[in-house]
Amino acid sequence: MIISKRKSHEDLMKSFKKYKSFFLIGCSECASLCGTGDVAAMKTMQEELEQEGKTVTGMMVPKTGCQTLGTKIELKKDKEACESAEAIVVMSCGAGTQSGVEIFPDKPVYPSNDTLFLGNMTRFQMFDERCSLCGECIIDQTGGICPITNCPKGLLNGPCGGMKDGNCEVSSEIKCAWVRIYERQKKVNELDKMNEILPPKDWSKKQNPHAMARQDKDKDKKEKKA
Amino acid sequence: MSFKEAIESGKFVITAEVGPPKGTDITTMIHDMHILKGKIDAVNVTDNQSAVMRICSLAVCKIAMEQGLEPILQMTCRDRNRIGLQSDLLGASVLGIHNVLCMTGDHVTAGDQKGSKSVYDIESVQLLQVVDSLNKGKDMHGNELKGATSFYQGAVVTPEANPLEPQLMKFEKKVRVGANFFQTQAIYDIEKFKSFMAFARKSNTKIMAGLVVLKSVGMANFLNNNVPGIKVPPELIAELKAAGKEKALDTGLNITARHIKQLKDEKICDGVHIMAIGMEDKVPEILQRAGLL
Repeated sequence: MIISKRKSHEDLMKSFKKYKSFFLIGCSECASLCGTGDVAAMKTMQEELEQEGKTVTGMMVPKTGCQTLGTKIELKKDKEACESAEAIVVMSCGAGTQSGVEIFPDKPVYPSNDTLFLGNMTRFQMFDERCSLCGECIIDQTGGICPITNCPKGLLNGPCGGMKDGNCEVSSEIKCAWVRIYERQKKVNELDKMNEILPPKDWSKKQNPHAMARQDKDKDKKEKKA
Repeated sequence: MSFKEAIESGKFVITAEVGPPKGTDITTMIHDMHILKGKIDAVNVTDNQSAVMRICSLAVCKIAMEQGLEPILQMTCRDRNRIGLQSDLLGASVLGIHNVLCMTGDHVTAGDQKGSKSVYDIESVQLLQVVDSLNKGKDMHGNELKGATSFYQGAVVTPEANPLEPQLMKFEKKVRVGANFFQTQAIYDIEKFKSFMAFARKSNTKIMAGLVVLKSVGMANFLNNNVPGIKVPPELIAELKAAGKEKALDTGLNITARHIKQLKDEKICDGVHIMAIGMEDKVPEILQRAGLL
């Protein structure tokens, strides 16, 4: 899921400075699990805005904020509340916020959160980054552990000289990704893979902005019609 | 005799290092270069070491040549993508710099430009492959070069890494992609180093032991607690302690000299790389005490 963290009160008030009334949009998916876009987070935001003498004209939690069309349809019932607000605050990730920008072409749309990473939830509201969406997965070569993400240098051919007692030079809180890969490969009997030299990554696969349409989408539609 | 010719001929080679200064005043650096001239086989020029921004390695390599020293260009993958690295390698080549040490590079979090973006487009093993390719007249994407490079490429290894096996596997990869020589992380325990050498001797490459001069008990403890892959044994710390504060540095110089002598006399490795860290002017004295000058 997409991990987000709320911006500080001070930063938000600074960016909202010009406006007095707001409509809040959350998200029932990732941002709710992060506690940044659920009803409770929105209530807190409402209180903070009201304390600053601002008003909240309404709020809504769409099923999936980054699904632009669905969110637009869900917002129909809040048409008046949206129109009466000077600005929209989107309490999800950067993608959700930009859905808002598309839905409201004539209104300022502000993010309340910083979007951090694609994360795995290890325990309730504890998140770890395991994949950095590099566009070409290589973890078949590395024991299922991604060195692009888990090694701060993204090294592909083994640990660097900064590894200390199995930990990373960047922080002793991080276990060296290549020591983890080594231990895992040993366990699953694939240590020979550590001898293979991995070539440089093709970063063109990560060239943004990405856009994709499922190639068989049209075929699916035709099958449905038939 | 060039550094390459010396080490390949079986001569016990000596290298030291010069850390480019932060700023344009190079007086001390030039002074150190004069002291080192004629006493070592080559000088390493560090590449923004510890991720602290300084004069670039390439410019200082050129200055070292003008001062009569043969440079080893240290090149890390932290600050340049594959275009920058290859371009600088071609630049080094036309300037007459023909030794390159390929390294990953300390992470930016260690340095003085903390918000900067780390690059690591390629890493040390792949950089060695790139150098090999440029030597064969092609860039890393197979495009023809008008004129090839002729680098003598080296790499680094940490003989006392813990755990050791992943480090040794990486060492073997570096040998496979053409590392002609290695300069190791600082070593202090010669017996332990011998067991690393027993492993390394199975590969066709030259090994130079890295030596960092101990200045005090405090420094030894600092290295043990903070620097990955360095272990100063308790006997050496006791020796520094017994010497007292005033004689600690002198004892440190003796320890380095003693290690050099043993490594050479017992033919344990192919040379030494002395990292004096701010005391480059003491290198001749160390060599004298080791009986090499």
